[in-house]
Amino acid sequence: MSRQARSELWRHDFRRAGWAAWVAPLGALVATLAMTTLAVGGGAGRQQVRDLLLTGLEAIVPLAVAMAAVTAIAGDRSRELQLSLPANYVATLGRRVGSLVGAAFAVCVVFSVGVLAAGCWSGPRFVASPLVWAPPTIALVGLGVFIAVLTRSVVLATSGLAALWLTQQIYASAIGAVDWARPFLLFQTTRVGVTDGWALDRTLLAVVGVALVAAAAALLRRPDRLLTEEEA
Amino acid sequence: MIRYEFLMQIRKRSLWITTAILAVVMPLLQGNRGPSSLPDDMSARAVMGTWAFLFSILLPIGFGTVLADRLVRDRRLGIVGLLDSLPVGPGARVLRRYVGSVAATAVPGLAIMMAAAVFELATGRHDPALLLWAPIAFALVMLPGLAFIAAFALVAPLVVTAPLFRVLFVGYWFWGNMLPTNFLPSLTGSLIAPIGDYPASWLTGERMLWAGDDGWLGFLRPDVTGATAALSIALLLLVALVPLAASGPLLARRRVAG
Repeated sequence: MSRQARSELWRHDFRRAGWAAWVAPLGALVATLAMTTLAVGGGAGRQQVRDLLLTGLEAIVPLAVAMAAVTAIAGDRSRELQLSLPANYVATLGRRVGSLVGAAFAVCVVFSVGVLAAGCWSGPRFVASPLVWAPPTIALVGLGVFIAVLTRSVVLATSGLAALWLTQQIYASAIGAVDWARPFLLFQTTRVGVTDGWALDRTLLAVVGVALVAAAAALLRRPDRLLTEEEA
Repeated sequence: MIRYEFLMQIRKRSLWITTAILAVVMPLLQGNRGPSSLPDDMSARAVMGTWAFLFSILLPIGFGTVLADRLVRDRRLGIVGLLDSLPVGPGARVLRRYVGSVAATAVPGLAIMMAAAVFELATGRHDPALLLWAPIAFALVMLPGLAFIAAFALVAPLVVTAPLFRVLFVGYWFWGNMLPTNFLPSLTGSLIAPIGDYPASWLTGERMLWAGDDGWLGFLRPDVTGATAALSIALLLLVALVPLAASGPLLARRRVAG
């Protein structure tokens, strides 16, 4: 396939991913700024403002992007048509989810630079800043896509994501205190801090996400698994 | 229509699977701090109040995501015109579907409360009153929150779409029910927190989470008593009427927009 054709395919699937591709990460960060404004209005100190901005990157963006990825996977209304074409449907879904994650990464980089420029960066050294938001995003997207493919249910996939996100928020301290569980903590930077081995833990989290995406791709070797009459 | 909506919902596999998984997750994660480790001499009322509150932490997430596409799917399935031909206005139709949906999602909620009571009976707490307090605790702690969530989950996706609603709902649930008020101004611990903090605290005799804690909108944070627990339930039901009242005009606007 020529480079131009590949580029055209990416552009097409980026459009098919829809407004959610940009709105999910942007909306998450706008919500973060709104919460920060609310906190400032309530008398929050400078450190609290810094923590909130970092929380937006580490907790809110990954949730929004993962939910959007589930919709991109499970919400395709022309799936039967796609499956009738001599195109690889897994690659098509990969381009759509890739567009979502790529847009999120671009938005996060711009936001991080803005936070740094405003003197409000409180995470690790800035060169390692992608490790704040990329691993939890990859992990949650991986989990959401895997459950969506496995169960063919938007409800189960989104509920699973929501439950994991909430329980990790509630039990963040307990998870962070256990050596073997810490790499699976989505919010290590904001809830535990940048401790020894932080970069390795973050990398392991990203590996888990990639493994879940690979498992979903393996399930999609039979893409007719995605066919369903309606949400069960 | 209520019966039809009830039957459609209660046959949804995802409703039962989600409820079962979420109902198991919280007691497991609570470990030694969970209701299974409560003192032996604790009253049946307090035991079941604790269970109801524990289930209230995560279960509404499942209920909200299940209900989020109930109205928007009518358009997706192309049956809006058919529904419009019924001799029932859009507002009344939404109200009936709301009642059916709440009833259907309440069934698995009540079922896990009864299962928790049976578990307590089977594991050494030989008090038959547990079976009586299980439905009471469900009705006081879980049902008002469910009614509140169901109203927004049905109607809000007409404005913000179902996927966006689900994201916002999770964020709201954490912000408005669990986030300490000293971190960020929130509705946590107020009378209109649908997690059921006030009724559960009244049932157990001790504050379950943040009920009545100082914070934003102080007039919504009285001390926990039987009267304030009842007021919390009444306010939740009252607020739930707001989206339901808006549903008729919203559906009409969507019909015009075509």
